[in-house]
Amino acid sequence: MAIRVGIIRALLYYRLYPFWKTFFNSLGIEVIVSGKTTKKLLKKGLKYAPDEACLSIKVAFGHVKDLMDKVDYLFLPRLVSLERGTYICPKFIGFPDMIRSAFDNLSPLIDTSFNLRKRPSNLFFPMYRIGRIFKKSPLFIYRAYKRALEEESKYLSSLQKGILLPEVLSSWEERRTLRSSNPKGNLCIALVGHPYNLYDSFVNLNIIKKLEDLGARVVTPEMVSPLEIKKEADKIPQEVYWSLGREIVGASLYLLESKSIDGLIHLGSFGCGPDSFLRELIADRARKHPEIAYLSLILDEHTGEAGVVTRLEAFIDLIERRKKRSIRLSY
Amino acid sequence: MDTYLGIDVGSISTNLAVINEERKVLVWEYLLTGGKPIEAVQKGLKEIENKLPSGTEIKGVSSTGSARHLTGILVGADTVKSEIIAHAVAASHLIPEVKTIFEIGGQDSKIIIVRDGVVVDFAMNTICAAGTGSFLDHQAQRLGVPIEEFGDLALQAKAPTRIAGRCTVFAESDMIHKQQTGHVTENIVAGLCQALVRNYLNNVGKGKEILPPTVFQGGVAANKGMKTAFEEELGYEVIVPEYYHVMGAIGAAMLAQETIVETKKTKFKGFEVSEVDYKTRSFECTGCPNLCEVIEVLMNGEVISRWGDRCGKWEVLEK
Repeated sequence: MAIRVGIIRALLYYRLYPFWKTFFNSLGIEVIVSGKTTKKLLKKGLKYAPDEACLSIKVAFGHVKDLMDKVDYLFLPRLVSLERGTYICPKFIGFPDMIRSAFDNLSPLIDTSFNLRKRPSNLFFPMYRIGRIFKKSPLFIYRAYKRALEEESKYLSSLQKGILLPEVLSSWEERRTLRSSNPKGNLCIALVGHPYNLYDSFVNLNIIKKLEDLGARVVTPEMVSPLEIKKEADKIPQEVYWSLGREIVGASLYLLESKSIDGLIHLGSFGCGPDSFLRELIADRARKHPEIAYLSLILDEHTGEAGVVTRLEAFIDLIERRKKRSIRLSY
Repeated sequence: MDTYLGIDVGSISTNLAVINEERKVLVWEYLLTGGKPIEAVQKGLKEIENKLPSGTEIKGVSSTGSARHLTGILVGADTVKSEIIAHAVAASHLIPEVKTIFEIGGQDSKIIIVRDGVVVDFAMNTICAAGTGSFLDHQAQRLGVPIEEFGDLALQAKAPTRIAGRCTVFAESDMIHKQQTGHVTENIVAGLCQALVRNYLNNVGKGKEILPPTVFQGGVAANKGMKTAFEEELGYEVIVPEYYHVMGAIGAAMLAQETIVETKKTKFKGFEVSEVDYKTRSFECTGCPNLCEVIEVLMNGEVISRWGDRCGKWEVLEK
């Protein structure tokens, strides 16, 4: 029977899954993914996670609990830095340790460190170390690594086609052609935030569908080209050194400048340090574009549906009323 | 006479207002929701019907407030809008040059920024309900001051006590401490108003461009102590409109009028709605691990609407 490696459907899953999965499969290893986030799964996570952690980490705890008895190895890489000059959040760096101290009877963890801050070209080394855990030959590992890179670049370029990430990811997984959703909304709303908040429809109370039901077409940072993101992020006088934060800021600025959107929503999670800065930074930049409405939403495990719905409805109404100024608020 | 009805069902109060084509308020009704929104709406409708002169025709209806979706189904609303828009529409009609709206209700507080008659920004209180009507009610009770006299008492204060308003729990313990050390009630009451205003401006109003004219509405606007505290903090006069407590309903009525301009025909089920037997019930769906709480609305024992499920499988009613 093939060895089974577990990948959690949380944190950077939404970005790195095609890369990891291709790598493991090419080594002849089966990949098992935890189920979608549900109330039950989150509850399990809350039981084990430290109180001070952000919502996203608590959710990830739930996914570990969901997976831990089904796999031979748990893949929880220690992501320090994935590109030159920036860092992944410190909670990600410490995540494998948090998991080790929280759970007993864990399957062996694969917590290989990825620190590419100085030399992004060093990506092969941690991959090699992972491959050696399974006693694979260097050439075999190298081939798997190459294949993973190819799949990743295909995936990333599909994300640029203006189609939302969940569809791109499932079309990649099911090896089928991309279904373009028919954007019927008259309004274009940019939804920015960490991918694990944007695309976990349980955590975000199904915000994308809610916006679509209100008649909006949703765009996200993944649709903005990395070049544009870099160009905009470089304009910030103080360097944003969190990888995802840098991307969120760069994409937000690009979308604000592009004039292609009617509104911008920053979706942050409670207890997220970078989000608390990003929110203010983006709000400040959004104020310079009075024609684009800005809304900040903060999610936590207690977030009530009513509050989110009221804010979204009011936000969309605000934009629509502004658009048709002919029917003014006052006669 | 052609008129429009607006219904605002909030956590504490249920308000109804009827306006004519010129947007003049004809009749209004303010009653306590008491945790029973359906009964409150039905009672309110009955009262409104009695107050309306004969020959008035309701040409359009709209609902708002936290029970807006439920109310919309009960009465057959032509449009269902969030209270933020309703409040903004009413305020900018009555005070056309308004730039900032403070709305403090029973359980939530909002700030709405309006420029040239259009909403440009808004915020609502998040997890913290400090400074809303319920908290003031509770504190008035604890101090033995009837809520109606709370504002006048605050105005008598010579030296308002400084109270920590960051959090209701701290505010309460701070107030008790101040009482125990001999501060007089009127100073404490005034101090509490100041603390709540500071809390509001720092939390809800954080980062917002607050400019005059500023309108203060919602149930808490009845409290003169709060109005004065706002004026002291901002340095200019704050306007409390005549219908401050039913502004949401008035705004909803105006939204109904706007909608009818486009749709022409109302979906209003008529005042008979107050006689119909409406019930709600809820159950936990066990179809998947999300365990959604599904709400059903029954009219004369028959399910007419369902919501609350994430996947939408219950929303479709089987015929």
